[in-house]
Amino acid sequence: MKQPPGKLGIREFIAIGILMVGMKATEDTPAIIYQHVQNASWMIPILSAGIFSVPLFLLLKTMSLYHEKNLFAVIQTLFGKYIGFFVCLGIFLISSLTISIDTRTYTNIIRTFYFTTTPNLVIYALLMAVCAYGAKKGIHHVGSAAYLIVYYTLAALYLALLLSTQDTTIQSIFPILGPGPFEIIKQSTLKMTLFGDFFLLTLILPNVKSSRGFRKGTWIALVFISLQSCIILLTYICLFDTSLGSNGYPFHATIRYLSLGIYLPNIEIFFFVIWILSAFIRFTAFLYINALMFGNLFKIKDFEYLIPALATVYLLIGSIPEAPIDVSKNYKALMLNSTGSFYAGIAILLWLTALLKGEFKDEKSKNSV
Amino acid sequence: MKKVKIVFKIFLMLILLMPLAGCWDREELEDRSYVIGLGLDKSKHKGKIRVTMLLANPEVGSLQGGGGSTEKPREIITFDANDFIAAKGTANTIISRDISYDLLRIIVVSEEFAKTPIFVNALSDSLKDKEIRQSTYLAVSKEKASQYFVKNKPKMETRPHKYFQYMIDHGIENGLIPDSTLFRFFKTLERGTDLFLAMYTTASKDKNPKSKQEDEYMAGELNAAGELDETEFIGSAVFKNGRMIGKLTGQETRTVNILDDTTNIKDILMDVPDPFTKNKQRQFAVRIMKNENNKVKMNVIGERTRIFITIPLKVEIMTNPSMVNYTVERNQKKIKNEIANHIKIMNEHLFEKSQKELKGIPYPLSYFARKYFWTNQEYREFNWVKSFIAADIVIKPKIDIVDYGKQSTKPAKAAK
Repeated sequence: MKQPPGKLGIREFIAIGILMVGMKATEDTPAIIYQHVQNASWMIPILSAGIFSVPLFLLLKTMSLYHEKNLFAVIQTLFGKYIGFFVCLGIFLISSLTISIDTRTYTNIIRTFYFTTTPNLVIYALLMAVCAYGAKKGIHHVGSAAYLIVYYTLAALYLALLLSTQDTTIQSIFPILGPGPFEIIKQSTLKMTLFGDFFLLTLILPNVKSSRGFRKGTWIALVFISLQSCIILLTYICLFDTSLGSNGYPFHATIRYLSLGIYLPNIEIFFFVIWILSAFIRFTAFLYINALMFGNLFKIKDFEYLIPALATVYLLIGSIPEAPIDVSKNYKALMLNSTGSFYAGIAILLWLTALLKGEFKDEKSKNSV
Repeated sequence: MKKVKIVFKIFLMLILLMPLAGCWDREELEDRSYVIGLGLDKSKHKGKIRVTMLLANPEVGSLQGGGGSTEKPREIITFDANDFIAAKGTANTIISRDISYDLLRIIVVSEEFAKTPIFVNALSDSLKDKEIRQSTYLAVSKEKASQYFVKNKPKMETRPHKYFQYMIDHGIENGLIPDSTLFRFFKTLERGTDLFLAMYTTASKDKNPKSKQEDEYMAGELNAAGELDETEFIGSAVFKNGRMIGKLTGQETRTVNILDDTTNIKDILMDVPDPFTKNKQRQFAVRIMKNENNKVKMNVIGERTRIFITIPLKVEIMTNPSMVNYTVERNQKKIKNEIANHIKIMNEHLFEKSQKELKGIPYPLSYFARKYFWTNQEYREFNWVKSFIAADIVIKPKIDIVDYGKQSTKPAKAAK
């Protein structure tokens, strides 16, 4: 199977999707969700995915009108040069903030659980350095690396879940509706951010071998991740019950609690290594996409050279919050509530503009000719 | 040019090796001292606690075969501190190595301290420390925890971490002590609806203990003689909202362990009154295995909550003191009923005690009430604690006798 250089296959794309979106369930996102919807948290990924699939569908439909063009190009053609520029700038700024806060979260996790006396800045700088190095190699390499490790990541994740079922009680999910149906719907709308990365992933559409493969990959990844996140949350709820509320990083609390019989009691380091590999890929891809946005915005062709500089900027932004608690309580919760709706809004606006401009009709007449 | 490139690449590799060493979190095994057991006591000074550390010597027993050192396997220190986290630093004035809670197995609290309201605050520090694992066990000692560790001198398992691990594992398998990890303690505390059981232990035997049924003892009541370590693990201490309020005997703890599907009991050996002897004087031994989960049904509508619990048990009959022929179906029925009845009485006794005396159930029964409600608000209004105290509880053991044991048709009197 020969591939044109620099193009991603469908499996590489799905692997990137899984690592970028699926790994959110292994940081503090579940804890933030739990604070609002308690024992009904497990419904959120599925409901959010369901809600987010509408704007995503519209977006993919709109994008299919413009072959081989990425999201920013489409936005600029549809919204015009000036409005388009500001919308793109907005997306870039928001996703920059997201990556800064997310990387900081990971640094916090590594520091609190594994390297307790190492200064935050050192861990953070190392994380960013690795990601910048990877991202500079280009999306094709990121895709290959993602595909290489995605199986290990999933296998380790499922092993952790399987081991933790020893101490779970399924009754924890009752009362089935948790805080009530209204709150669940409200939160699943707000928490669309979980899948907001799929919106950003449309930026690398020209890098994927075929746009049909891209669409197919997006849907496969979306369904897979929503189910997987649901199962992960379900396991956390059944394992921790109400104490999940006071647990900042449930995945790490879980792997620290697990043991393989009495002879292998402390096995978290095994999961940690694989988890950190997946984190590297996640932020490498994210960093690449951000650089791509920046390049597109300011018409810089060789945007790969910007990556180290951008990584440094993100490192500085991410260092602003003083303590881990600020990050997840204030910044992260805010981002998690707003970003998804913003992306969804833009997707719907894009589709509406295309509809009003009559682009879909043109497509039909083009096809019929 | 190519050579230069290769040299640079090698240099890069070497530089990358440096962070691997991890300058800040580097740990030398030689330089560490591992706390295996932590004791907490009431202090004479206000606002302080008395911390006891049982430190293991990693050099002892780690060598295969001969050699090894003549050093003692453990070291125990006791002092007053504000909490057991900062106590690590204070302990370094006595212990030469860096003190770590990484391998902490057991936290022993004296009964006296467990009954004070400050105990739960002191123990909550363990959530903050990143070295303490949630799988650490919590035990309550009859005497002061500081004395407990000093008096506990295992004869066979001199390495303390192995001793506590085996002691507790087998205790839980037999059902005589509860599976009381910190994880469960805090989970129960957060849930706030049920009571928590911590294993009960002592290293000093009572003066003249009475002889009882095989599992009715509390720690310290079993009169064992010989060349042995006097530490006993049996029974449990009951905690309500993080404060000790009572005790359960070994038998009651077993009953709870059979009821609680979240503990892994292996198989339980116990005695049941023999229905074939006069006045049921004699007892026969059975092995009880629990492979299936209990079935719990509740009726939460109406003034009084009704709870129906079916306990499926597999039973193996181990002895046959009255030499009954079990091939007869009538006898099979009789013995089945007797076992069911015995287990029912034990459970009813436990539920009576928990409703009247403890005012709560020492295992997460409230889980089963949840599914009858749609939302958390409705469940909160239902108020499990109040409903449980007034509830009607019906227990139905479902006995399955898998083995009647070896059949001896004739008593072997003639041979004697």
